[in-house]
Amino acid sequence: MEVLREKVEEEEEAEREEAAERAEWARTEKMMRPVEVRKEETTLTQETLRDLEKKLSEIQIPISAELPAFTKDTIDISKLPVSYKTNTPKEEHLLQVADNFSRQYSHLCPDRVPLFLHPLNECEVPKFVSTTLRPTLMPYPELYNWDSCAQFVSDFLTMVPLPDPLKPPSHLYSSTTVLKYQKGNCFDFSTLLCSMLIGSGYDAYCVNGYGSLDLCHMDLTREVCPLTVKPKETIKSEEKVLPKKYTIRPPRDLCSRFEQEQEVKKQQEIRAQEKKQLREEEERLMEAEKAKPDALHGLRVHSWVLVLSGKREVPENFFIDAFTGHSYSTQDERFLGIESLWNHKNYWINMQDCWNCCKDLIFDLGDPVRWEYMLLGTDKSQLSLTEEDDSGINDDDDVENLGKEDEDKSFDMPHSWVEQIEISPEAFETRCPNGKKVIQYKRAKLEKWAPYLNSNGLVSRLTTYEDLECTNILEIKEWYQNREDMLELKHINKTTDLKTDYFKPGHPQALRVHSYKSMQPEMDRVIEFYETARVDGLIKREETARTMTEYYQGRPDFLSYRHANFGPRVKKLTLSSAESNPRPIVKITERFFRNPAKPAEEDVAERVFLLAEERIQLRYHCRDDHITASKLEFLRRTEVDSKGNKIIMTPDMCISFEVEPMEHTKKLLYQYEAMMHLKREEKLSRHQVWESELEMLEILKLREEEEAAHTLTISIYDTKRNEKSKEYREAMERVMHEEHLRQMETQLDYLAPFLAQLPPGEKLTRWQAVRLKDECLSDFKQRLINKANLIQARFEKETQELQKKQQWYQENQVTLTPEDEDLYLSYCSQAMFRIRILEQRLNRHKELAPLKYLALEEKLYKDPRLGELQKIFA
Amino acid sequence: MNRLCDLMEPRVMDDDMLKLAVGEQGPQEEAGQLAKQEGIVFKDVLSLQLDFRNILRIDNLWQFENLRKLQLDNNIIEKIEGLENLTHLVWLDLSFNNIETIEGLDTLVNLEDLSLFNNRISKIDSLDALVKLQVLSLGNNQIDNMMNIIYLRRFKCLRTLSLSGNPISEAEGYKMFICAYLPDLVYLDFRRIDDHTAKLAEAKHQYSIDELKHQENLMQVQLEDEQARQEELEKHKTAFVEHLNGSFLFDSMYAEDSEGNKLSYLPGVSELLEAYPDKFVIICVNIFEYGLKQQEKRKAELDTFSECVHEAIQENQEQGKHKIAQFEEKHLSSLSAIREELELPNIEKKILECSADISELFNELMMLEMQLVEQLEETINMFERNIVDMVGLFIKNVRSLMAQCRDLENHHHEKLLEISISTLEKIVKGDLDEDLPDDLRALFVDKDTIVNAVGASHDIHLLKIDNREGELVTRIDSWCTHLVDKIHKDEIMRNRKRVKEINQYIDHMQSELDNLEYGDILD
Repeated sequence: MEVLREKVEEEEEAEREEAAERAEWARTEKMMRPVEVRKEETTLTQETLRDLEKKLSEIQIPISAELPAFTKDTIDISKLPVSYKTNTPKEEHLLQVADNFSRQYSHLCPDRVPLFLHPLNECEVPKFVSTTLRPTLMPYPELYNWDSCAQFVSDFLTMVPLPDPLKPPSHLYSSTTVLKYQKGNCFDFSTLLCSMLIGSGYDAYCVNGYGSLDLCHMDLTREVCPLTVKPKETIKSEEKVLPKKYTIRPPRDLCSRFEQEQEVKKQQEIRAQEKKQLREEEERLMEAEKAKPDALHGLRVHSWVLVLSGKREVPENFFIDAFTGHSYSTQDERFLGIESLWNHKNYWINMQDCWNCCKDLIFDLGDPVRWEYMLLGTDKSQLSLTEEDDSGINDDDDVENLGKEDEDKSFDMPHSWVEQIEISPEAFETRCPNGKKVIQYKRAKLEKWAPYLNSNGLVSRLTTYEDLECTNILEIKEWYQNREDMLELKHINKTTDLKTDYFKPGHPQALRVHSYKSMQPEMDRVIEFYETARVDGLIKREETARTMTEYYQGRPDFLSYRHANFGPRVKKLTLSSAESNPRPIVKITERFFRNPAKPAEEDVAERVFLLAEERIQLRYHCRDDHITASKLEFLRRTEVDSKGNKIIMTPDMCISFEVEPMEHTKKLLYQYEAMMHLKREEKLSRHQVWESELEMLEILKLREEEEAAHTLTISIYDTKRNEKSKEYREAMERVMHEEHLRQMETQLDYLAPFLAQLPPGEKLTRWQAVRLKDECLSDFKQRLINKANLIQARFEKETQELQKKQQWYQENQVTLTPEDEDLYLSYCSQAMFRIRILEQRLNRHKELAPLKYLALEEKLYKDPRLGELQKIFA
Repeated sequence: MNRLCDLMEPRVMDDDMLKLAVGEQGPQEEAGQLAKQEGIVFKDVLSLQLDFRNILRIDNLWQFENLRKLQLDNNIIEKIEGLENLTHLVWLDLSFNNIETIEGLDTLVNLEDLSLFNNRISKIDSLDALVKLQVLSLGNNQIDNMMNIIYLRRFKCLRTLSLSGNPISEAEGYKMFICAYLPDLVYLDFRRIDDHTAKLAEAKHQYSIDELKHQENLMQVQLEDEQARQEELEKHKTAFVEHLNGSFLFDSMYAEDSEGNKLSYLPGVSELLEAYPDKFVIICVNIFEYGLKQQEKRKAELDTFSECVHEAIQENQEQGKHKIAQFEEKHLSSLSAIREELELPNIEKKILECSADISELFNELMMLEMQLVEQLEETINMFERNIVDMVGLFIKNVRSLMAQCRDLENHHHEKLLEISISTLEKIVKGDLDEDLPDDLRALFVDKDTIVNAVGASHDIHLLKIDNREGELVTRIDSWCTHLVDKIHKDEIMRNRKRVKEINQYIDHMQSELDNLEYGDILD
């Protein structure tokens, strides 16, 4: 630092000039290349020129054309507070310190670009970047974590590119303005995000550095959409069971090992070939997807946020790109270099080489070799500072002629000039500008909407494409919110045309998943249910044109599976809707779980009702120590024997295989009873199948209705949208208002104007009180009389006018046109009406006036202020 | 009460009567025809009603093994008998008879509902076996002692009781007494006991009931202690080292040893006897602990073995099941193909194919089984070797520990002999100071006598030790052989069963195919 001071003292002027020169030179050099190109162009022939022109005209500049300019002309600065328009002395001081720092820096590192220290704000006032950060903790719990915070910033603001992609902007607006207009460049984004992150306790920094083209233009078309990435299946490492002492030896393997080896070799070859092909394919694809080389690679200025580990349980440092809200490792190759970084307390310059992007950077801000800090005394200083620093800064002070000794040691960053960041709940809910946002990913497009913006509750849609140009749609996923039918996600696969609806718990039919191709009944479809919400424990029902399969769980009768085959529908002449004419059932198969209360040989595992053949097949569960299971088959073919007697039961009607033959099962009576029981069960099962069919129809009908209506639910806590509560609240307010008015009226003070004549605060004497009362009463009397007079006067006026009109009519009666006559007549009737009303009013007044007078008198007697009066009467 | 039946002739419960009753009460209509056709076996009957038949003696019911409900009301039975075989009985009605004592119900452990209404019973008794009893009807009897109620406290499930019409029901506070002493009762004399009454009764008889409860609790605790002790002993017995965790063996050595006890009064022997039992007991405890440890080891070994065998069998069964499932699928389709086939040569060809499939399945299953048998045999032999080795080692170690006991005993014996001889010398010389008991002094007649006495004591001691050792060794040996035999036998049984099962299945399949063949040919 000693050296630094000397240098500053001696060579300051010269160095500055030199630096300026160098900067000039650098700029000219940069300019040189395009100039050369232009020169070459002039030498081109006319043809090529025309060709070029044509080509150039084809090229579109999408970004600059689309995005509206965000300049200070459009900003209304009149309403901004004073701190935005002026600098406090402390800020002035800070700016001077910064200037000095900048001078020293450019002196020491003449080959580096000038620092981004104090850009102008929206009021054209230079402000130090650290004071533009306004740490704020948002009142929304959703914004407490960095990921949701970053996502919010990226959703909330619209991106505007930097005016010059190679330089930091000249202006840096406050977050207030940025939030108001909902757009900004990368510096605005990262300033806002950094403010929010610091506010919620992260160790976050704004970074001024260099990024790749995609990063700077918020171009996600080469990124895989995070929603399409399937979570990697964690391969469960199979626990190798240690062979126990008495584990049996496997049977001897009698295969030829040589043959096996040959086989394996062959397999491997084939696999290797396949792999190679695959890899080639992949490479080809990768090649196609790779970005064109960027001419300005490494020079594009970008700003993002760095979060250091330590606070809020962040395990390691990472970057957040405020444009997209994605987090990146500090090793990511899209971040090409760091110039400087700052938080609300200090400013650091990166002194490390960025030849290998940011991969080798060490983010130990306390290390003054790697990071040159601007202000002393922040908590990041890890290395002990010696007196040299003190004296150095003192000298700086001397140079700046501030002459204040105590300014040195820890010059605190002044408080931010920015107003507290505020986001209204409406804006927070709407999120994206106008509630809509579209993001283009690689082979995918993501659209987002604010809740309640779409009448069907759609909040986001992800369209996945087959090709890079996004023309062939592969599948569409739509997410819904606040739907009354609890629809959560709709997934349409365009290749198979299969639609799948996912529901949240709470659908009236307990639907969970519904996948189908068409809404027509008796087509291929699978419906899954929330089985806990259903009484019958149904989990899943699959339907095809001819079958229906149901899966159950947790039933007291241990039914687990029911499969019904249908025959072709018998044509009926009358109504043939699916409801009135059910398809004939050919076969019902039912399977049961093991009922632990019954012995295995009596516990039915599967029963098949072959309705067409009148056959019933039973298969029992297998006993623990057996490999075969008992079977039973009932036939009911002939009902009448040769003599015409009804055959009840014959031994050949029941074919059985029993693992352990038992005596009682051979009995005809037992078999008869079993068969009767099964017949009843068959009837029940048929009924069940029929009911299931009906239920399917009902579900489909309900789904169609719901789709058509797509009503949204509104929480009772949502005061804004809940119409009912709003009405109620408004009514309550109105009532309150009226009540208030009435109260005001009753509080009207008759005595006030008379009391005002008397000196205030004194107790009235009796005489005064009497006079006051008399005055008040006489005044009131006068008013009543006046009112009566007024009515009288109006009455008279009306009558006079009417008389005049009548006179005029009688005089001119002959010459009048019918229209005029009509006019006259209508006037007459109106006037008569008015006169009548006035007359009534007068009468009423005459009646009421004495009463009113008496009432006032009564009131005055009771008035506490005229207490003296009462004494007489008391 | 004058009953009509008194005038009539008593009838005997013979086969005809039972058959008639069963037929009447059996299945009706179509099922009844079938039943008649086949005849009903008494064993299958679940409920039987034999009322108003003037039966004097219960008889001939031994065939109704599965009977659940038996009604014998309104007869003239005098004695409960002949019900021993009816162990599944749940419901027994013996009301309106002439029974005087409750008896013959000791095997009816499943009985829940017993009606002895309107008899001549004077004492509630002999119902101990009826642990599931819920309903007991004893109305219109001659029970006159309130203490009979306390007998009913042991039936934890009893909810309904009727005692009206007995002398005790006339007594004052009858209801209160019953409610207090049977707090779990819900219905008494066909009425529900309301909460209010229950509370009153409880308050009234609180003291006596508390005392009763206390006694019952004490009994319970005693019983539990006894059980725990028994269990502990049982555990030690399985380790073959029972009674070795204390001075039991030592005490038994001296229990039958009159000479030894006499000799203990010799001067100097008491000191000797102080150290000796301690050392002896330490060795005994060593044996005991070692035995327990070995038992654990053997158990672990056995567990591993049975687990492994079980796993192997399970896996084998799974394979078998899978094979059968595969076969059945194929078989079913080929059977239906045969049914649809019209030409005879084709049918024959397919049938041949089918039977080939069946025999192939048979071969596969049998091969699986044989393979398992071989594997298991190997494992079993290995286990046998190990367990025999283990037992051998145990015996060897126990023997060496016992030898230590014997050494101690020998040592003690020498010392004792020395003291005895020196005492004898002293006596002979006449300079013995102390007084000796007379019976002890009688031994010191001459040298032979005293040596013989000491020797006899020693012999008894050694015999005891030898006996204990011998017992241990024989028992563990027999356990070991039993175990190994059982394992072998189980395996053989398993194998036979499986082979039988496979054969049965294959036979069934084959016969099914044959039937099909005949059917086709007949068609």
